[in-house]
Amino acid sequence: MSKVVGIDLCTTNSLVAHVGPKGPEVIRDASGDALVPSVVSIGGDGRIYVGREAQRQLLVSPERAVYSVKRFMGRGVDDVQEEAALLPFRVGGEPGGVLRIGIADREFTPPEISAFVLRELKHRAEQYFQEQGEFDFEVDRAVITVPAYFNDAQRTATRDAGRLAGLEVLRIISEPTAASLAYGLDKKNRGTIAVYDLGGGTFDISLLKVEDGVFEVLATSGDTHLGGDDFDNLLIQLVLRDLELSGHPATPELVQAVRKAAIEAKLELSEQEEAEIRVGPSPALPAAYRRQITRAEFEESIGPLVSRTMEPVRQALADAGLLPRDIDEVVLVGGSTRIPLVRRSVADLFGRTPHSDLNPDEVVALGAAVQADILISGRREMLLLDVTPLSLGIETMGGVVSKIILRNSTIPATGREMFTTGVDSQTAVDVHVLQGERELAADCRSLARFKLRGIPPMPAGLPRIEVRFQIDANGILSVAARELRTGIEQTIEVKPSYGLTDQEVERMLIESFEHAEADFEARLLIDARNEAEAVVTATEKHLRRRDFSEIEQELLPGELQRVDEALQSLKEAVNGTDRERIQQQTHALNHATQHLAEITMNRSIREALAGKNVKDV
Amino acid sequence: MSPDSIPIRPVDKVECRTCGAGAPVDEHFCPNCSRILALGRHGDFFAFLGLPRQLTIDLQQLERNFRDLSRKFHPDYYYNASSQERLASLERSSYLNDAYRALKNPAARIEHLLAIEGLPPAQSEGSTTKVPPALLEEVFALNEELDDIRDARESGADPAGLRQRLDAARQPIDRKRDEHEAQLHELSAKWDAERDTASNDQKRQTLQALRTVLLERNYINNLLATIEREVASVGAGLPTSGSSTTGQIGDPAAASQKPEARE
Repeated sequence: MSKVVGIDLCTTNSLVAHVGPKGPEVIRDASGDALVPSVVSIGGDGRIYVGREAQRQLLVSPERAVYSVKRFMGRGVDDVQEEAALLPFRVGGEPGGVLRIGIADREFTPPEISAFVLRELKHRAEQYFQEQGEFDFEVDRAVITVPAYFNDAQRTATRDAGRLAGLEVLRIISEPTAASLAYGLDKKNRGTIAVYDLGGGTFDISLLKVEDGVFEVLATSGDTHLGGDDFDNLLIQLVLRDLELSGHPATPELVQAVRKAAIEAKLELSEQEEAEIRVGPSPALPAAYRRQITRAEFEESIGPLVSRTMEPVRQALADAGLLPRDIDEVVLVGGSTRIPLVRRSVADLFGRTPHSDLNPDEVVALGAAVQADILISGRREMLLLDVTPLSLGIETMGGVVSKIILRNSTIPATGREMFTTGVDSQTAVDVHVLQGERELAADCRSLARFKLRGIPPMPAGLPRIEVRFQIDANGILSVAARELRTGIEQTIEVKPSYGLTDQEVERMLIESFEHAEADFEARLLIDARNEAEAVVTATEKHLRRRDFSEIEQELLPGELQRVDEALQSLKEAVNGTDRERIQQQTHALNHATQHLAEITMNRSIREALAGKNVKDV
Repeated sequence: MSPDSIPIRPVDKVECRTCGAGAPVDEHFCPNCSRILALGRHGDFFAFLGLPRQLTIDLQQLERNFRDLSRKFHPDYYYNASSQERLASLERSSYLNDAYRALKNPAARIEHLLAIEGLPPAQSEGSTTKVPPALLEEVFALNEELDDIRDARESGADPAGLRQRLDAARQPIDRKRDEHEAQLHELSAKWDAERDTASNDQKRQTLQALRTVLLERNYINNLLATIEREVASVGAGLPTSGSSTTGQIGDPAAASQKPEARE
C-alpha cells in the first residue's frame, strides 16, 4: 500500500511527517534536519532546486530564486503590490487574474512554486520509506495544512499545488487545529484550549473545546500577513539604513546577505540578551558590517507587531463567548513563538504559562500526519471539527453583501439563497460570491462569479432559483442551483476570481510531467557526462605516465591508435547532448583501454612490490 | 432566511441509495443494510438531534448528541466508502452542524420551532422594516435623539458629552430588551408545558405570541447595533460619512435585503 503523509507547507520552512509503528514522527534528512526551506531556485542549467540548495543560490543570484511564496497563494496582482516591493523577484499577471512570479527567464503561478516544495517533501518521504525497506514506498496522498484564517481562494490554491506535485490531497486542515491534534494525542484531555500560532508569515488564533476525543473549534481568527518575516524586515531595514549612510546602496545580493544576518541575530536574541548582526565582507560590501543589538531594543521595535496579534485573540474570544480565564490550556505553535516577548504577551493575556512541550516548528506536521492516519485507517478515537474562518455571502443590489454562511460555522456547512428574475423571460442570472465580514462587496474578497443559466422563461419574479452553497470539510466551497417551480437543475460555470481553473491545473499538470521527463533526461545526461569524463581522465593519466614508452612496447600493433581514436570520439561526444552516443563511446573507450589498463596495473604492482610508492610512478 | 427558502414538507420515507430499501425519515442509517442514508427533505432539527420539540433544552444533552452523531456522520470516516455514502455523509454532517448551531442559540431555536410549526419566520422581509407597534414610542424618541447627536457631532461637540447622551438614549432600549428576554423565557416555558396537553388553538396562540416578541426583540437588537455604530463614530471622532450612519433607524434590515436578479 502506498504511503500517506502530513505536510506543513510553511512560509519559511516546510516539513513532512507520517504515523509509523511508534506513532507520529517527522521525516528528517540524512543529517537529521526536518526543515526544508520553502525556497525555490532555477540553476544555470535550467534545473529546479528546492530547500537548502535554493537558499544558497538566493545569496549569490537572488534573481534566480523565490521565497515566501505562501504569501501570494490565492491572491491577485493588485493585492500584493506592497509586499512584492520588498521581495527580489518579479511579480506580475493581469489585474483581477491569477498572479505570476518571474524567476530567471521563466514564469510560475504561486501554486506551481509551492508544488516544487511539495514535490521535494514527497521525494524526501519516499527516500525515507525506501531506506526503511518498505516495499511500496511511493507517497501519493497527503494532508496539507494551511493557516486557519486562509480564505477559500488560498485553500484552493494550496490544494492545486498538491495536485501539481502529484499528490492526492486527502484534506486541507488548519495549522492550529492540526497542532491541537498532535498535543491531544496521549492525554485523555478535556477542556478549552487556545492555540496561538505565529509562524513565518501568518498569525492564527484558534479556540477549541476538547471532549471525548472530539476537537471542536469554537472560533478562529488571525492575520494572514503577520509573522516572523515582518520581524526580519524591521531588522533588515535598520541595517540597510546604516549601510545606505555609509555609501552602500541596497543591491539584491546585499539585501539577501543582510536578510540572512538579520534572521540569525533574531534567532540568537531568543536565547541570549544581546546579539551581533554581521554582514559580509563581500564584493558588494568590502568591509564587514557589525552592529550590536540587545533583546530590549529588538522587542521595542517588534512590540507593535506583537500587540497586533492580540486583536484577533480578543475577536475569537468574543465570537466563542469566552473570557481569557475560561481557557484551560494555551498552546504555542510556530517558530516566532520562541521569542520571549511573544511568550510573555500570551501568558499575560491568558494569565497562564503556555505549553510548548512539542517543538513549535514540528507540531503542525505531526498533527497533519495524525489526521492523514485517521482518514486512511478510519480510526474513530479522534475527530476534528473545524470552522470556516470567514463569512460567505453574495452581492445583492447596491453592492451590499448578504451573508449566507457565517464565520465560525462548523464545517461542513451549507447555506441557501433564493434568486429570481428581474425581467420577463429572463433566462440567466449573474451571481457574485464573496468572503469576508464587511458589509460592502467592494471590501470583501471576491471568490467567484457565475451565471445561472437555463431558467425557464417566465414572467419576472416568478422563477424561484435555489442556490445551494456547500463548504466541505476542507473549507472549500462548491455551488449548486435548482429552479424550484420546474425542478430544473441549473448549469453553473464558476470562474474563480484569483485561482486557477480546473483546465489550467490540468494543463500545468501535463506540462509538469513533460518537464519532469525533461528534468529526468537532463539528470541522466549529466550522469553520463560525469562518467565519460572520469574515463577520459583515467585514460589520459595512463598516457601521461613517465614509463609510457616502456608500456607502449607491450601494446599490440595498432592498439595505441585505437585508444587515441576512441578517446577523441568520446571527447567529441561529451561536448554534445546525445546521451546514448556518450554512453556508447564511454563503453568503447573502456573496451579499447582494457589491455592498456592491465599493463599499467601490473607495472604498478611490480613497482610497489619493489618498494617504490605507487604515487611516485 | 427568506420565507420561501426551505419548503418544509415532512416526508414519511427516504430511499436508501445503497440497497434501495425505504427507511423512516428520522433514521440516519438504513435499517436494512446499515449504510448511511441520504438526507431527505427533513426539516426538524429537534428530531434530527434526538430531542423533544421543546424550547427549554438540556444543553449538555444537545452537545453529547451532537458529538455522538458527528462521530457517526463525519466525512473523515467515509474516505474509503462508496460515492453515495460519501455524499450522504457530507449532507448529513452539514445538516447536523446547521441543526446544532440553530438549537444552541435560544432565539434561533424559537425561530426554527416557528418554522416547523408552520408560522412565517420572525425575520422575513417587510416585517423588520416596519416598526413593531409596541415599540413606536421608543423608536420615535431614539430617532430624534440620534439625529440630534449626529448634528452635534458634525458641529464638533465634545465626544464625552455625546457619549453620555448615547448612554442615556440606550437605557430605555436596554430595558425593553430585558423585558423581551424575560417574555421569551416565559412563553418558552409555556410552550413546553402545553406541548402535549393543550388544544391546537391554544398552542397556536402561544406560538403567535412567541413570534411577536421575537420579532420585537430582533428589532431592538438592530436598534442597539445602530447605537453601537454611533458610539464608535463618536469615539473615533469621525465626521458623518457614508450611508452607514445616516441611514434611518427605521430600516436596520436594509443590509439583509434579498438579492435580486441582474443582467
